[in-house]
Amino acid sequence: MADQAISYADLSYINSELRSIGSYISGISNEIGVISSKQDNLENDLVVLQSDLAKLTSLFNEFVDADTRHKALQLAETRVGNLRQELDLKFGYYAEVRRMAIGILQAVDVGIVNDNTLQFTTEEVMIKAPGYWLAPALVALASWIRDDRHNTENALNESLRRDDYKATLFYMLIMRRLGRNDASLKWLERYFMHQNPHNLSREFITILEAVITGVFPPAARQLMMSNVKDWLDLLTHTDNFVNQQKAQWVSFFEASGPLPEGKYPLLEKYCINWPTLTAALKAAKTHKVLQAYFQDIVSSTDFSKSVKVQLDEILSLLVVNFDDEELPLQEQVRLNQLIIQMDGSKSAAEAMMNSEKHIFEEKVDFLQLLTNASFNPQLAGATKATQTLAVSISQPWIVEAYDTFTAQSRNKIPKTIELTIEDFKTSTKDGGNENELVKSQELFYENMLRIELGRISFPWGAIIIGSLLCLGAISFVVAAPLAALVGVGIGGVIIWMSMKNYNKIKKAIIANVEERKRKAKEVLRGCIAETVDYRNELATEDANAEEVRHFIAAIRAEDFTSLSKETARNII
Amino acid sequence: MARIILQNENFDFDASKKQTTSTGFLSDRGLLKKRSQKYLDLIASLDQKTLSETKGIEELMKGLQEEFGTAELASLPIGIVAKCFLGDPYEVHRLDLTAQIIRHYKINESMEPDFEKARTLALHNAYALVEVYKEKLILIRLDGTASKTDIGTPTNF
Repeated sequence: MADQAISYADLSYINSELRSIGSYISGISNEIGVISSKQDNLENDLVVLQSDLAKLTSLFNEFVDADTRHKALQLAETRVGNLRQELDLKFGYYAEVRRMAIGILQAVDVGIVNDNTLQFTTEEVMIKAPGYWLAPALVALASWIRDDRHNTENALNESLRRDDYKATLFYMLIMRRLGRNDASLKWLERYFMHQNPHNLSREFITILEAVITGVFPPAARQLMMSNVKDWLDLLTHTDNFVNQQKAQWVSFFEASGPLPEGKYPLLEKYCINWPTLTAALKAAKTHKVLQAYFQDIVSSTDFSKSVKVQLDEILSLLVVNFDDEELPLQEQVRLNQLIIQMDGSKSAAEAMMNSEKHIFEEKVDFLQLLTNASFNPQLAGATKATQTLAVSISQPWIVEAYDTFTAQSRNKIPKTIELTIEDFKTSTKDGGNENELVKSQELFYENMLRIELGRISFPWGAIIIGSLLCLGAISFVVAAPLAALVGVGIGGVIIWMSMKNYNKIKKAIIANVEERKRKAKEVLRGCIAETVDYRNELATEDANAEEVRHFIAAIRAEDFTSLSKETARNII
Repeated sequence: MARIILQNENFDFDASKKQTTSTGFLSDRGLLKKRSQKYLDLIASLDQKTLSETKGIEELMKGLQEEFGTAELASLPIGIVAKCFLGDPYEVHRLDLTAQIIRHYKINESMEPDFEKARTLALHNAYALVEVYKEKLILIRLDGTASKTDIGTPTNF
């Protein structure tokens, strides 16, 4: 009893407890649901936050970058100012002297300044700019104008002592400007004595061009030619320099080839040595391109009218230009200017600076100078007239380089054209053996048909079973004629069906091989036709080489100078 | 910045460089002189010669010496390769000046490496013959003009 009472009381209590637990649990699960949905929300928020953060980071980076650049820009601007001040402080007087040089030249041009003023100002400059070559040069100029021989000679010697090369170039250009041909020639002679054919400065090409095109008196050309001849003798005495130029010309020739036109689609697809074929054709086609190139150079009669202008430009560059002691400061100024120009990007400015240095400071030997002028006169700082001269002087090694290029490209002409159509491999020299090739291709497909047919087996099994069935049935023909008939029928059907199936497969194979053969034959004939065209085109293009060689071989420096003499007379 | 046209570098023209002599560029001038018609004919006549004709060889060598003058042995070609007109299957022939023999080669027969590198060019219609030197080939055109090429190793295709 007691047990029962306890059990009643306990059960109701437990029941209610269980119920309440159940409700708790459902409450918890609800809350878990809420939490998980909140968590989902949180995760979404996190993703949004992350993307926002990424945006912020990139924005921040941009900001830092912009800020750095902005600061670099400001710094560069300040530095340019400071450096300029420093330059002004240290070398400011040089700038004044340079300005004065141009001023004196212009004054002499028009003759409106009193000799005394010239004397006074130049002598003042001499005192104020110690060590600067232009100061005594100006004194010499002023004393020369007022016919003071003693003073002129002294000042001249002093300027030459301070900087022989620049003073020589200065006097040479001044004399030319003033129309003193003999004097200018003497200075030119001295200028040439300064030149080292192994190490020429960039302005040399401009002087060379000026001489060639007749800005200087005709005697200057002879002087230049004899100098050039000596240099050539010196430089071509060893193979070194010439071989360098030859190698450059050969690679120039190689690079001049036109792009492939895609004229031979079948060969491209089926010829396994197509890369060599197309390379050979490209090389052969180069001859025509080169012919146009050389013809353009030689036939150009563009004797630039700007040479005189250019001479004045050198003169003003010479006087305006910075002297070596100023260079480090000037370089810094330039770098900071470039930083400003590049919106504060230091690396871009440095890259720009490097390329400029390369262009402007390069010193080259005479042969390289000629090659540069031949390849790209604009970049070398010359005109087409100089290009023509450069080509005509370089002619001996251009011919050799051309011979090498021609021989190389001819050596690369493939002897045979290797074709692979499906699995049929063959080769032809010029497509002349078409019938032979077609025949061997037919043999190939006959062979293939035989092999393919050999792969399907004749249905011997089914035929034997069918025949045995028939024979067995016939033996029952007396006992059970109906059954025998049925047996024979079944046997016959088995034999007939298997034969039919076999013939069907055979037919399909034959049709398939025939179709492949037909297509392959078309391709083969197409390839042969293209081979014939290819060989013809190659031969025609290759034949141009002889013409071009003839053309280059006929270029003579003398032709060019006789042409320029006419212009020279016109100018002087 | 204005262009820097002048660098105040010391002028160091080295006159002693003039004295360096070499057998390179200038000495090849002699090799590139136009070949005589007689010489071309002589080589063209190789087709009629056979290996056993020693007398023919003697004559040939005499003709060659005439063409190359009193050139030193070292500056003579090691051999001459030319198209062979004997007809199929012969393709090229080779005159070996060191061994003083003539040999005709069939289409798929290869020559010694030194000569093989001249083969493709010898077969080209633009050239009458190819003189093979140790380090270069001199290509002689049909009109006798010579051109130099520095083809070193033969290209295999």
